[in-house]
Amino acid sequence: MKISSKAILAETLLNLFERQGAEIVEIDVLQPADPFLDIVGEDLRRRIFMTEDESGASLCLRPEFTIPVCIKYLNDSNRTAKLYGYCGEVFRQHRHTAPAFYQAGIEDLGDSDEARSDARSLNSAVSTLRAIDHHSSLDIVLGDQAVFEAVLAALGLPAGWQQKLLRCFGEGEQMYELIERLAKPRPTAPLKDPIKGYIINNDFQSLVAAIDLEMRQAAISPAAGRTPDEIARRLVEKQRLSNIHLEQQQIATLMEFLKIEGALDDADRALGYFAQANNINIDAVLQQFGRRKTEMMRVGLDLKDIVYQAAFGRKLNYYTGLIYEIRHKGALIAGGGRYNRLMTMLDAEIPIPAVGFSIWVDRLSQLAKDKESVGEKL
Amino acid sequence: MTVSIALPSKGRLKERAIEIFANAGLEIILPDDDRSYKARVAGMPQCDILFLSASEISRELGYGSLDLGITGQDLIHETLAHPDERVKVEVPLGFGFANVVVAVPDVWHDVSTMADLDDVAAEFRQRHGRRLRIATKFWRLTQQFFSQKFGIQVYRIVESLGATEGAPAAGTADMIVDITSTGSTLRANRLKILDDGLILRSQACLISSKTSSMRSDVQNIIDNVRKSIIA
Repeated sequence: MKISSKAILAETLLNLFERQGAEIVEIDVLQPADPFLDIVGEDLRRRIFMTEDESGASLCLRPEFTIPVCIKYLNDSNRTAKLYGYCGEVFRQHRHTAPAFYQAGIEDLGDSDEARSDARSLNSAVSTLRAIDHHSSLDIVLGDQAVFEAVLAALGLPAGWQQKLLRCFGEGEQMYELIERLAKPRPTAPLKDPIKGYIINNDFQSLVAAIDLEMRQAAISPAAGRTPDEIARRLVEKQRLSNIHLEQQQIATLMEFLKIEGALDDADRALGYFAQANNINIDAVLQQFGRRKTEMMRVGLDLKDIVYQAAFGRKLNYYTGLIYEIRHKGALIAGGGRYNRLMTMLDAEIPIPAVGFSIWVDRLSQLAKDKESVGEKL
Repeated sequence: MTVSIALPSKGRLKERAIEIFANAGLEIILPDDDRSYKARVAGMPQCDILFLSASEISRELGYGSLDLGITGQDLIHETLAHPDERVKVEVPLGFGFANVVVAVPDVWHDVSTMADLDDVAAEFRQRHGRRLRIATKFWRLTQQFFSQKFGIQVYRIVESLGATEGAPAAGTADMIVDITSTGSTLRANRLKILDDGLILRSQACLISSKTSSMRSDVQNIIDNVRKSIIA
């Protein structure tokens, strides 16, 4: 009997993960669909394989491992810091590629020393790839959402704008469009009386009461979804912001930040210059950035080989800090990042730090195979 | 070779479709048994007329199991993932006008654009412990419009098969994506269309399956319908 090379590679990867101290977990192929749709968003629906059980509950073939691995961690009574390793097939609908492919990775959960676990995660990804394939050139790009968050806060932008900008982090074009939009005043639609009057007179209580009444008249329960108070607050805030816009200096600072790129080795110095030149204070986040750098050096990563891009991020809204990708000639081989927010979204009672990576096993396998055949020819 | 043509099986759409074909010189002879879903065309034994639901027509055209059909653009875009590769809109027929729109309760005075909705959706889970719910039978159109055009992903679709406009009052959803022709149903339910919330303008069209649109017998029928519409 011939064992497929992919099965052998999967076995090898799990062995490597175990040697790095990870506990290997099994995740069911069939998963409840709700957590995925809820956390990733409705956009996922057309990319996963969904079905129903007898009771009508939505199920899906696992589209990835991170969410079920985190759910497993939260269901575990012993929540010490843990490394969970996995390898298996994931299933996604895609027009031009096979619907099933292998992913393998380690989720590093519950370690409150974020600098240390960030470094451990990247090092683990790099050394796993290197153990399979020593020779191929790997390009490592690293970003940090926390730095962007700190820049927005230091600029003193309205909270709503900070959130809006953060939501576009890593999405080049969308980000520039948003900045352009915020650079102009945005006149709001004319309001009806009596709403208009309450706003002009700053009569918040009457505004809430009027909205509450209108809701009841439309038979919409003021308690079931958006509340009168919530609508009133946002309306007032929107009116207030309709006259202000991003200033030239703020735009220049944002643009300058988004263009920062260079070897990680030198990145905190570049960020320091940037902050000083733009007269903003992001010291706290830079300190954390520096600590992570030190930890990365300590585990033996070569910082000259890692490119820091200030604008590099991932759209999924549970990422909070470090984000990285490892590519070979443009093809993504592994990706990872810190996703502290995910645990809270999965209803953890306390914040739980989490960082992890995933390897595209099929591409790694291809890479290793290509090398082999080159070797044979020589 | 047989040409299989599907027409809407019910109501006003059925009547208008039969009328359109009659004007194009294709007189449809209805079967004596009016529960039957098949009919013939006078003098054209090679034509099979089938009466199907409008969304079924879209799907079957996509599979290529029908040569021609009359259905709405809304259903073509909702039923098929890549309509341009599977079907071709041959002749817009000038009836069955409807817009697919994003509508929210009137009382959301702070929401008039998709950008506003983006803010509301992003904060919803934190405030209410659940995602913003959108009732619709157009999940594909909704999802394409929200994600691809506005980058809005964090909401949940509640599938609604009828009376979608009542979902916010019934408490099953916060807002809706639905078809509207005059807007009166939306107004009656105290819902408003967002300024940039028009997803699709739709009307009934004669549509061919790409697998057969080049056949001359199919082209003949298309030409006849097209000429009668222009005239």
